[in-house]
Amino acid sequence: MSTFPLASFGGAIEFIFTPQESNVTGGNKVGGFDKSLELVLKHLEVTALALAIAVIVALPLGLYLGHKGRGELFAVGFGNAGRAIPELAVIALVAVLIGVGLKTVAPALAILGIAPILVNTYVGVRQVDPAAVEAARGMGMSELAIIRKVELPLAVPTVMGGIRSAAIVILATATIAPLAGVESLGDFILNRNVYGENGLLAGAILVALLAMTIEGSLALLQRRLTSDGLKVKTA
Amino acid sequence: MASPLLLAAAGQVGGDFFKERESGTLPCQADESHLFCFDWAKENIDRYGTPTQQHLEIVLLSVVIGFAIAFALALFAHRSRWAQPPLLAATGVLYTIPSIAFFFLLLPVTGFGRDTAVIVLAAYTLQIIYRNTILGLANVPDSVKDAARGMGLTNRQILWKVELPLAIPEIIAGLRVAVVSTIAIATLVVFINAGGLGTQMYGSGNLTFPTSIIIAAAIVMAMALAFDLVLLTAQRLATPWRRVRPA
Amino acid sequence: MNEPAASSVRYQEATKRYGSSSTPAVDKLTLEVPAGEICVLVGPSGCGKTTAMRMVNRTVEISEGDVLVGEQSVRDREPAQLRREIGYVIQQIGLFPHRTISENIGAVPQLLGWKKERIRERSAELLELIGLDPELGDRYPAQLSGGQQQRVGVARALAADPLVMLMDEPFGAIDPINRERLQNEFLRLQAEIRKTVLFVTHDIDEAIKMGDRIAVMREGGRVEQYATPAELLMAPANEFVEDFVGADRALKRLALMRVRDIHLWEAPLAHVGQASGEVRAKLAAPDVEVPFPLLVDSERRPLGWLSERDLAADVVPNQPDSPLGPVLELDDVMRDALADLLQGETQYAPVVDHSGRIAGVLSVEIISEFLASPEAKSDEHAAVERPHG
Repeated sequence: MSTFPLASFGGAIEFIFTPQESNVTGGNKVGGFDKSLELVLKHLEVTALALAIAVIVALPLGLYLGHKGRGELFAVGFGNAGRAIPELAVIALVAVLIGVGLKTVAPALAILGIAPILVNTYVGVRQVDPAAVEAARGMGMSELAIIRKVELPLAVPTVMGGIRSAAIVILATATIAPLAGVESLGDFILNRNVYGENGLLAGAILVALLAMTIEGSLALLQRRLTSDGLKVKTA
Repeated sequence: MASPLLLAAAGQVGGDFFKERESGTLPCQADESHLFCFDWAKENIDRYGTPTQQHLEIVLLSVVIGFAIAFALALFAHRSRWAQPPLLAATGVLYTIPSIAFFFLLLPVTGFGRDTAVIVLAAYTLQIIYRNTILGLANVPDSVKDAARGMGLTNRQILWKVELPLAIPEIIAGLRVAVVSTIAIATLVVFINAGGLGTQMYGSGNLTFPTSIIIAAAIVMAMALAFDLVLLTAQRLATPWRRVRPA
Repeated sequence: MNEPAASSVRYQEATKRYGSSSTPAVDKLTLEVPAGEICVLVGPSGCGKTTAMRMVNRTVEISEGDVLVGEQSVRDREPAQLRREIGYVIQQIGLFPHRTISENIGAVPQLLGWKKERIRERSAELLELIGLDPELGDRYPAQLSGGQQQRVGVARALAADPLVMLMDEPFGAIDPINRERLQNEFLRLQAEIRKTVLFVTHDIDEAIKMGDRIAVMREGGRVEQYATPAELLMAPANEFVEDFVGADRALKRLALMRVRDIHLWEAPLAHVGQASGEVRAKLAAPDVEVPFPLLVDSERRPLGWLSERDLAADVVPNQPDSPLGPVLELDDVMRDALADLLQGETQYAPVVDHSGRIAGVLSVEIISEFLASPEAKSDEHAAVERPHG
C-alpha cells in the first residue's frame, strides 16, 4: 500500500479509466472505463430492483396502516428491529441457504429497505393534519381518494425520507452482494487479488460517488414532489 | 421479519434436518445443508465470546466519540444558527457514504484495523445525533426561555439548566437509533480486519455456514435490543415530568 | 411579612430603536411610577407597551435615554443580576416543565444562593399566599390548570422579594371567570405586600380595575395620558384616550366602587321555625325596601328567598322555595356585582360580609339610581380614592 494517500487515490482514478496490468489474470488487463461503468450499472440494477420491491411492499402497507391509525406498535417496532438487522447476515444467509443470483438477492435486500419505508410512511400519514382529512371526508371523498389526494401529498417529505433511508441501506448492502453471486461495485473491493490495491480504492470511490448521486437525485425528487404549500415558510 | 423465501427454504432444509434427527442416523453437522444445528451451537458457544467483546468495544468507542463530536457541534450550531445548514449537509454526506466504501476510502490514511472502523462508525452516528440534538433544543417553548431570561439566568445557565434537560427525550431518541444502527453495521468491520461478530459470518475470505451466521446475527440483534431498552429506560428515568398525566 | 421592599421606577426619555427603522418602537418615554403602586401600561397592539416594560429589566435593551429603578440606572447593572431583583410574569407563563412547582417558585432564590431550608420555607409560604394547596408543590406544571399555573407564575416572581414586578398581560391567557378571580386575588395580595408593579394590558377594563395609575399609550410608546383611573374616566385628555376608554365610561366607573360603598337595602329576615305570621308582619311594614323575606340561619347567613307558598304554613320551613341565586360580598367590585346580578337573572342579591353574614341586599335598581344621581356625575365624586383592599 502506497504511503502517500494522494498517490493511492491517483492510482485509483487511473484504474477507473484505463485498464491496468494485473498479477493474477496474467496478461489480461483489468479495470478501465468499460468495466467500471458495467459494474456501476450492475450495482444500480440490483439497488433499483430491491428498492422497487421494498416500495411496492411497504408503501401501500404503510399508507393503509397510517390511514387507519392501526398497527402503530407493529410499524414502529418493525422499523426499530429493521435497523438492527446486520446486512452481512442477510447476504450471507441468502447466499448459503437459498441460492445466488439476482432473483434471490434483490428480495433479500428489499427486506432491509422495507423497515424504514414502512415506519416513515406510517408516521408521515399519522402526522397529516386531521382537520384536512376530516374536511376531505366531509366533502365526500372516498377513503382511497383521501389517501391519494390528501394524505400522501402531505406526507411526501417524511415518506421520501424513508425511501431515501432505504435507498442508502440497500445501496450499501449491494456492495457486498458479490458474496451472493451478484455483480456490483463490490467486486472491485472484495476481490483484491484480482483488481489490486488500486481496484480496491477505485471501487470504494465509485460506491461513495454513486451513493451521493442517488441521494442527491432522491433529494431533488423529493423537492419536486413536495407541494409548494408545504414549502412556504409560515408568516 | 424473516424473509418468506427464507422460511420456505427453512421448510425444505428443515425437513431434511428434522428427518435426520428423528431417525437418529446422522449427527448434526455444521454445514450449508442444515439451517440450524443445536448441538453444534451448544458445543461452540464459547467461540463467540471474543468477537462479541470486540464488537462491543468498537461500538461503544464509536458511539461515545460520535456523540461527543455531534453534541459539541450541535451546541455550537444552536448559538450560531448560520452553521446549521452546512453542518447538517456535512454530517449528511458522511451518513450517505456506505460504510464499506468508507472503510476502504480510509485505507491509505489509517490502514486496516480498529482505528479505521471506529472513525467510520463514529462518522456514521454524527448526523442523527446532531440533528436530534438541534431539534430537541429547538423544541423548547419560547415562553420558557423568555421566563428564564427574564428571571435572571445567564445564557449558560439557560442552556444547561433549562434547554438541555428539556431536550433529553429527543437527544436520547437519536442516540438510540445511532447505537442500534452502529451495532448492526459493526458486523462489517470484518472486512478491514477489525474483528467483531462479522467474523462468524464471513471467515477468512469465505462465508461461513447458516448456524454460525444465525447465532452471530442473533447476538447482534439481542445486543441492539438490550441497548435500546437500557437507553429508553434511562430516558424515562431522566424525565419524570413526562410521566405525569396532564391536568 | 418582611419589611416593605419596593422601589420607584422612572423612565427618562427612554427610547428603543430596532435595526434601521426610523420610527422608534418607544419614543422618549418619560414616566414615573411611585414605589408601591401599580402602574398599568395600556394601549392598542403594537403601541410599545410591552417593549417599554421590558426596558426595565433589560430583556429589551435601551437605545437612548435611561430607566432608573430606585434611582439607580438599569444600564449600570449587569443584566442577569438586575433581573434577579425584578419579578417577571409573562402571558404564556413559562413555568419550567421539568421542575416541580416548588422548584419553579424557588428558582430565583436558588440563583441568589439562598440555603435550601429557606427556599423550601419560602416556597411553602408563597403557595399559601397565592391560595394553592401545599401538596401541589411536588407536582409538575403539566398537572395544573391554566389558572393555577398563572398563580404559580406570580408566586415565582415574588419569591426573592423583588423591588419591582413586571407583569405582561399575565391574565390574558386565562378564561374570563378565572381571570376575574386572579385579578381580585392579586389586588388583595398587593394590599398586603405593596410592590411596585408595571402591568401591561390591552384591556382598558382590566387597567381601570388594577391600576393605581394608568398610562394610555399609542404607537411609538407615546403616553397620551398618565393619570388615576378616576381622572381617566372623568377627564380624558384627548380623542384618542376617549375612544380607547370607550363610550361606556359611566358603566366603567362602577369598576371603581365596591358594594360597600353604596347604600344597600334591607330585606325582612326570617329564621327556620319562626312563626309565619311574624314574617308576614315584617313584610307588611310600610318602609320595607325588599318585598321578599330572606331565610337566614342562626348565624344570619342567607339560605334562600321565601315565597308566598312558603309562608302559607304556620311555621317557616327550612327548605325555601326559591334558590339563593348569586350571593355578593361587601368587598366585591361593583361592576362585577352588577354582572353577577344580570347573569343570575335576579333582581335582588343578598350581600354578605367576611364571615358570610347578611349585610344587606343589592338590586339593579340601586345601581342604576346611583348612576343617574347628580352625586355620581360630579367631579368631586371622581376624586374619591380607588378602593384598596
